[in-house]
Amino acid sequence: MSPQLTLQTPLELAPAEVPHYLEQLWSPEQQGSTGTGANTFCLLIWQPAWAEQQLIRSGRLPGPVTGQQSASLIAAGRQAVLDGDLPRSTPPLDGAVVKAVADFEGQASAEDLRGQYIDPALSALMPRRLITLAPTIDAAQPLETLVAAYCPLPEEGGGTTACGDVVVLRGGHGALREGLSILDPLLPESMPAWVWWNGCIDEAPELMQRLNSAPRRLIIDTALGDPHQCLELLSSCVVSGQAVNDLNWLRLRSWRETLAMVFDPPQRRDALSHITRVDIDVEGHHPAQGLLLAAWIADRLGWTLLSTDTIEDGTTAQFKRSDGTEVTFQLMAVSTGQPNVHAGQMVGLRLIAEPENKQGVCVILCAESGGCMRLEGGGMANLDLHEEVVPVQHDTPEMDVARLLGGGHDSTNPLLAAAAPLAARLLG
Amino acid sequence: MVATMTNPLRVGLRQERVIAPQCLVIFGASGDLTHRKLVPALFELFKQRRLPSEFALLGCARRPWSDEEFRGKMAEALASTIQDDPQAWEQFVGKLFYEPVDLQQSKDVVRLGTRLEKIDQQCATRGNRTFYLSVSPKFYGSGCRSLAEAGLLKDPKRSRVVIEKPFGRDYGSAQALNQVVQACGQENQIFRIDHYLGKETVQNIMVLRFANTIFEPIWNRNYISSVQITAAETVGVEERAGYYESAGALRDMVQNHLTQMLAITAMEPPGRFDPEAIRNEKAKVLQAARLADELEPWNCCIRGQYGPGGSAESPLAGYRHEPGVDPNSTTETYVAMKLFIDNWRWQGVPFYVRTGKRLAKRTSEVVLTFREAPVHLFDAATGGPTANQLILRIQPDEGAEFRFEVKSPGSGMRSRPIDMEFSYDESFGEPSDEGYVRLLADAMLSDPTLFTRSDEVEAAWRLYTPLLELIEDSPWQLPVHPYESRTWGPAAADALLAKDGLLWRRP
Repeated sequence: MSPQLTLQTPLELAPAEVPHYLEQLWSPEQQGSTGTGANTFCLLIWQPAWAEQQLIRSGRLPGPVTGQQSASLIAAGRQAVLDGDLPRSTPPLDGAVVKAVADFEGQASAEDLRGQYIDPALSALMPRRLITLAPTIDAAQPLETLVAAYCPLPEEGGGTTACGDVVVLRGGHGALREGLSILDPLLPESMPAWVWWNGCIDEAPELMQRLNSAPRRLIIDTALGDPHQCLELLSSCVVSGQAVNDLNWLRLRSWRETLAMVFDPPQRRDALSHITRVDIDVEGHHPAQGLLLAAWIADRLGWTLLSTDTIEDGTTAQFKRSDGTEVTFQLMAVSTGQPNVHAGQMVGLRLIAEPENKQGVCVILCAESGGCMRLEGGGMANLDLHEEVVPVQHDTPEMDVARLLGGGHDSTNPLLAAAAPLAARLLG
Repeated sequence: MVATMTNPLRVGLRQERVIAPQCLVIFGASGDLTHRKLVPALFELFKQRRLPSEFALLGCARRPWSDEEFRGKMAEALASTIQDDPQAWEQFVGKLFYEPVDLQQSKDVVRLGTRLEKIDQQCATRGNRTFYLSVSPKFYGSGCRSLAEAGLLKDPKRSRVVIEKPFGRDYGSAQALNQVVQACGQENQIFRIDHYLGKETVQNIMVLRFANTIFEPIWNRNYISSVQITAAETVGVEERAGYYESAGALRDMVQNHLTQMLAITAMEPPGRFDPEAIRNEKAKVLQAARLADELEPWNCCIRGQYGPGGSAESPLAGYRHEPGVDPNSTTETYVAMKLFIDNWRWQGVPFYVRTGKRLAKRTSEVVLTFREAPVHLFDAATGGPTANQLILRIQPDEGAEFRFEVKSPGSGMRSRPIDMEFSYDESFGEPSDEGYVRLLADAMLSDPTLFTRSDEVEAAWRLYTPLLELIEDSPWQLPVHPYESRTWGPAAADALLAKDGLLWRRP
């Protein structure tokens, strides 16, 4: 299903008028004409869409700006990697691509519909309020505040019409900061509020801090931004008890599931107590996802971190098992011909167990989209080998976010909560 | 951290669909099922993080309990489970509420509506509700009507009703009840529960058949000579005499659980894995099923009743001596019957179905016996060649077994049967969830795949109508054969198969 536009043409209002207008819109007297205000949740989205804006400005992508991760956007990003002489392994919507495209000429303009395009996966959940913060590449652009009522279309499961509204704050960075004052009254405490930071984690730390106050539930993507800062933020949220969800962690689900599946037969479980080495390959130089997986394994198996070191193209570490034996961990960045949209996605995992007086075990998991030659090479002929192919997830960020919102939790997933601080320590 | 019994990498890895914020309302919350099955299942879902934070459970019954009293009762009933994870219970118990409601009183139902609105405000449950009727079957129709009249079922996307078995007593009453509940809401709002469908191994029959290419080509009359479906219990009637006396094994087990196993075993492949596509196929196969001899049903059905048994040290009372049972009762505790399915796939293949209480072993299984090889080239070590069998074990020791002939070691060319085994325990090593965990989650997810649709229920009742009428009108034609407790049922049941030159499989 393609994303839906709001049914009502957005109304431009002065920022100060927005809270009052919305209050009136859902007042009991008005409910006959607009339907009932859904008693669900509010979602605040930081939606910079820098790559899309720059690709449209430079004439490499037709408008409008939607903020959605479309196939044409990804294709235009891949082309820009080639045209900008960037390494082939650069993800198509990476910060480096944005920088390169910013240098391309062009002044094409297009309608900016960010916040008005609502993915059906999200609208099916009938959010009460979607607030989009849409920074523009023109830093001097003044603040525009748009408001529209929104009712799910019948095929999305209308039933009794429970409507919501969308609020869009658009403008340059400075202008957006001015508009933040209207946010608090727009996020009633009686309703769960989620903040989806759909951009680089390190691009506007003050703004993020301002938006991300508990009990709001944060959704981030640790594949976007400096890996240190990504993991630090994740870790600090966990430590402070704020509910945080990471789309990069969510994308690891098939890896966690496949690895668990290998050890489902009870006769293989003993090997888990005798692991001596873990190797992980990730796409390019963004180790966050690989480190989260390593941290999850270490936590589940009760290992303690002894030391960590940065090497060329990777990270190494030593863990100690509960029986005192050391485990060597190595994460390596590898190049891939057709990089994933998300930086640093898992390519392969190798796990070697050496039980005393028994045949050793080697488990290799390999992404279905790539090869694992590095992990498959070298001296494993005497080991009991288990190889599995891990399916690649093709879900859009909107679908992943909808999955989180659909079964919303007000606390961090315990597995992520345990893995995040350890992953941050692994990066040093 | 690494335990021999659990896979540490498996902990917390549930990947099922997430349940949307909602309030589950249980009517009959002071009853047995609530504290024995429903609340433990919900607590399990909570521990698995499959319940959203915005979740509430509202217990309703006539007793004038407060929220705190209800919470206390549940804590008492689940004490041993709570011991393992008191912290989780502390978090979970805050989601339990109680409202005294008599579903027959309209003012009570109106008050319930107000309470639900308050809970929506308090817990952000979004007006999304699942109503679970864990009440006496005679209140199913009126209960649905009360909810509908109070406007609590008007949104088909955000309200649903779960109805426990038995759904009717016969074809006519099931039809009448369907008419009532369908007048209260759309069919996709009605979830008729059959907890057998919540069993992992019953669902595995579908996966085994439709996710593998090797079985489906031989899953028909050309290769299969007969099918046996068994659900044997070692327990007696226990505390259920009141209900069981008026139901018997036919209504209690065959019409629902065994018929569902039969439908899943015999259905055509659905076009897609979609609730309606699956239920269409199940309904179709049940509509094509019939008793082997509808005109003279006594030729294809055997009823039995357990008598005393056991050993001198631990004697077992016969059914007629159980508390609450009529000393002259003719209620059957055992049924065996032969069915046919009149369609292209199964024409002429007998389906033998049996169930009973106080049998020799607790077991549920589906056994598909394949046709013999057309020519016997080899001597069989056991006298004659054994037909290939595929045994799907539903419980206990869940798994599957394929029996085929191999060469017996030695210089000759004699064949003997061996078993190729798949065991859930050996492959996965984790106990599967209780059926109610799966079914409650599915109902709250509005997924009716594992619930029976109105036409399925009616087709199942229609299938056994000749028997029910016979038992009602001329019971002497279908006598109740006594059998000793902890045996495999009356000899007449063995004779039923012996007529076809077959034997019941001894599990």
